[in-house]
Amino acid sequence: MPISQELLDILACPKCITSVVLKERQKGSGLICPACKVMYPIREDIPVMLIDEAIPVGDDGEPKAGYTSEWK
Amino acid sequence: MEKDSVSCLVTGAAGFIGSHLSERLLSLGYCVIGIDSFMDYYPRAVKEKNLLQLKNHPRFSFVEGNLLHFDIGPYLSRVKYVFHQAAQAGVRASWGSSFAVYTENNINATQSLLEACKNLPHIEKFIYASSSSVYGDTPLLPTQEDAPLHPVSPYGVTKLAAEHLCYLYWKNFGIPTVSLRYFTVFGPRQRPDMAIHRFIRSTLRGEPIKVYGDGEQTRDFTFVSDAVEANILAMKYPRSGEVFNIGGGSRITVNKLIELIQTLLNKSVEVQYLRTEKGDVGHTYADTSRAKRELGFSPRMGIQEGLWEEIQWMKDQLFQD
Repeated sequence: MPISQELLDILACPKCITSVVLKERQKGSGLICPACKVMYPIREDIPVMLIDEAIPVGDDGEPKAGYTSEWK
Repeated sequence: MEKDSVSCLVTGAAGFIGSHLSERLLSLGYCVIGIDSFMDYYPRAVKEKNLLQLKNHPRFSFVEGNLLHFDIGPYLSRVKYVFHQAAQAGVRASWGSSFAVYTENNINATQSLLEACKNLPHIEKFIYASSSSVYGDTPLLPTQEDAPLHPVSPYGVTKLAAEHLCYLYWKNFGIPTVSLRYFTVFGPRQRPDMAIHRFIRSTLRGEPIKVYGDGEQTRDFTFVSDAVEANILAMKYPRSGEVFNIGGGSRITVNKLIELIQTLLNKSVEVQYLRTEKGDVGHTYADTSRAKRELGFSPRMGIQEGLWEEIQWMKDQLFQD
């Protein structure tokens, strides 16, 4: 089940509390924190808002080399 | 999340009791926001299975998050009821260096959640899942809520500390807390480290059952739907700052429990008796007259019927595996 807009409206980066932005990707969607420049993965429709799971992203919002949004 | 339905926040929603509670709330027409950090005390896959019936429900939203590092405020602004089921469970694992995991997840996380509830008068109830472990090894049986509190495990200390936090946040800030002291909850989705789950699994697999102690210790087992119902009853309880024993009324020795399981399964396996583990108590037996009088609580599922339910669930799990 996709994440509701109402939930998306209140999801925030657990580290800096900035609102996150949905980034839909074929290889795995996520929620970008523009301040921390990380993406919190969405796995099986569950937003994973754990600091340890945050994936560094580049300016294009794509995971940096060597990182993946798949399960570790 | 539907805007016209009353919303509830359930922490530990992927867990044993949290997932059942979430389903019950949805069946009553509430919206549920679930949060769980999928702590690795037992396999993630087990908790994911607990969520299977919830995930596609239109009134259920779920976030994987850690209460210690999470802006819970926006969620609390949308809910009327908070069910704080999340905790680091497990009496025997709470010794030694693991204790920090218990203090962080049971005490600090509860404090963090209570802090976030300050100045939110729209929250009608904050229900905390406490534990019979707060009593320790009490000789006062059946045990009433005003019995001395002397936990004999570090886990019990953390559950009691969080209970005290619930009381003082009510006393100081008016957060409408109610604490429910669960007595050994069992049933489908019971955690794999718990005795009934282990005994059924061993019997089904034809493996020896391991008992810590001589098996004459007793437990007041509470079926999960009765524990869930206690939460539902607490929602509308007019007072706060209170604590209630939630016991199933099925007090039985471990030896008798094993006998029942083997009768229901029509199968016997060897029973190995090991040394009593530190932190285990001899007997638990809840006096639930306060819960009956004030909440209207009355357990409905006895030990035999409850074991049958858990056995059927376990058989399905083993078949799927």
